[in-house]
Amino acid sequence: MKFLRVNMTTQTVQWEDVPREYTTLGGRALTSIMVNSEVPASTDPLGHENKLIFAPGYFSGTSLVNTGRLSVGAKSPLTGGIKESNVGGTIAFSLAKLGIKAIIVEGKTADNKYFLLNIEDENTASLISADSLKGMRTYALTQQLHTEFGEKKSITCIGPAGDFQLLSSSIQSTDLDGRPCRAAGRGGLGAVMGSKGLKAIIVDLKGKIPAEIADSDRFKKASRDYAKAVKADEFSGQILPEFGTAVLVEPINAAGAFPTNNARMGQFKGVDKISGETIAKVIKERGGKTKHKGCSQCIIDCSNEFVTEDGTYVTSSLEYETIWSMGGMIGNDNLDAIARLDFLCDDIGLDTMNTGAALAVAFDAGYREFGDSEAAIHLVEEVAAGTEMGKLIGNGPDAVGRHFKHDRVPTVKGQAIAAYDPRAIQGMAVTYATSAMGADHTAGWVVDQNLEAFGGTVEARGSEGQVEISRNTQIHMAAVDTAGICDFAQTGLATEEGINNVFTMMSAKSGQPFGQADWTELGRRVIKTEREFNRNAGFTNKDDRLPAMFYNEPLPPYNVVVKVSDEEMDSTFDF
Amino acid sequence: MHVRVRLFGTLPQFYPGNYPSSGLEVEIWQDISVAELVDLVQVPQEHVAIVSINGRIAKANDAIPKNAEVKFFQSLSGG
Repeated sequence: MKFLRVNMTTQTVQWEDVPREYTTLGGRALTSIMVNSEVPASTDPLGHENKLIFAPGYFSGTSLVNTGRLSVGAKSPLTGGIKESNVGGTIAFSLAKLGIKAIIVEGKTADNKYFLLNIEDENTASLISADSLKGMRTYALTQQLHTEFGEKKSITCIGPAGDFQLLSSSIQSTDLDGRPCRAAGRGGLGAVMGSKGLKAIIVDLKGKIPAEIADSDRFKKASRDYAKAVKADEFSGQILPEFGTAVLVEPINAAGAFPTNNARMGQFKGVDKISGETIAKVIKERGGKTKHKGCSQCIIDCSNEFVTEDGTYVTSSLEYETIWSMGGMIGNDNLDAIARLDFLCDDIGLDTMNTGAALAVAFDAGYREFGDSEAAIHLVEEVAAGTEMGKLIGNGPDAVGRHFKHDRVPTVKGQAIAAYDPRAIQGMAVTYATSAMGADHTAGWVVDQNLEAFGGTVEARGSEGQVEISRNTQIHMAAVDTAGICDFAQTGLATEEGINNVFTMMSAKSGQPFGQADWTELGRRVIKTEREFNRNAGFTNKDDRLPAMFYNEPLPPYNVVVKVSDEEMDSTFDF
Repeated sequence: MHVRVRLFGTLPQFYPGNYPSSGLEVEIWQDISVAELVDLVQVPQEHVAIVSINGRIAKANDAIPKNAEVKFFQSLSGG
């Protein structure tokens, strides 16, 4: 496999052999280790020294299902620390099939010049002038690029928010239908792409280079067994295809952990109107799609297509985190408005979570009433219009909080929390506080241990055991994100037999022995690297804290605050 | 004594009768526990991971008060 190094300062591209030390890495391990190695930690995230690295997972391009995952890494302009943002769609698979292990975008153009990166085949890539595309929204942009370059292309791009270099800007990537509705949303990496003068990456979908696998028979057998387990599991085999991630709305609300009205409450009275069950019913009645396939190699089909009453496409995929951020978090129970806001964020190139939280802070500060969905839509449109208020919203909750002198800002390291209030599920408090990424639910999702088996194997509203489960899950997830396995296909590795299949595939691909100790060491290495970068960027233990509102304000209905102490937080990464 | 039981996700398929979308009216006895109610409704217990009573998460041995709204949820993953 090769690296494609793209220098935006000189507008040159260079193919490189992959250095030996990187050959057994992929995804998050590759982006984080390379960022730590090549980017000065103290540098301006929007300056020429930052690098934007796109790396398919280690298993991307193989026969293993649900491995169409791409890690995007850089120094984040939102958090000031290292960032790995993960996205599905078609780009990871198509890059892997062209034998590309990573694209490294470095430097930046002079005079705000804009370019497209066109990867035509495994030997041909070029930068094409694209000044006229600056400011273009992602749906119109991808439609134009598909017309110009052909339909069989995966397109990864930024919208106006990235062009403005706003801190909540996402990188959008096309799904199997060619729509730019898959987001590397977190950390403002769209702004990094915009700062470099890169509007879009076009990747040919017709690559056929076989994955490098030392023992393909052994790999194939383990990958077949893994796929069977994903299909056989109730959650990934039945629930997700039927309801998508929206199925989480009701149980998380029941747990009092659905942050509502800028996390003033843990339950939303309008929950019936925005639940996964309601959404699936509405989609079916209107002729939209549930059980929709969004990503290469997917056998789960958790995506959906939400449509208007007359059957016109609105957005894909309407997912749990957005239903929360544009629903309960801003007091909005209007499902059509939530779907519209989801579309606008994809079209403008915004992280739905950071943007919803920014709206929530503005509403909480009295700028508008909670539940005013029209105001929310108008404010998100203002981001694309480039107004001062739009820039505030697009720069995220911290910017809005500073503007209104309002201190109820639910962020860690500048990044908004996700749809699990850390007071009601205290394992998420540990993950939000200690992840090098800022408040990131995917870094260590411990909801199941806190709620399942009739009320959790740990006490959800207490601190006991939370550090340990968050630590173990964060280490595990760092390895999962390196392998490039979809979060929802982890059902395939939930048993001893399942995780052993993963180890077998790691070993069969690399030709080296691989076991549990290697998996844990891989995850620990990634986390240590990320924390090292952040320390060098000036982060200390004091940055591994939640905002005061979570320690001081009891959350209804359980009226509980975060009980995990600073000392416990600081013991999370004891290695 | 009765309670209303609502089944979420794909749980309605495991209910042995016709499941109405408004939920089930279930006759219960004094001090019935969560685990006993799951058995009474005849949804296989291995498919039920989370139960709430009147908007509060319940433990398996918690007693169910009369006229409660009880929700059954399945196992979750991901995020």
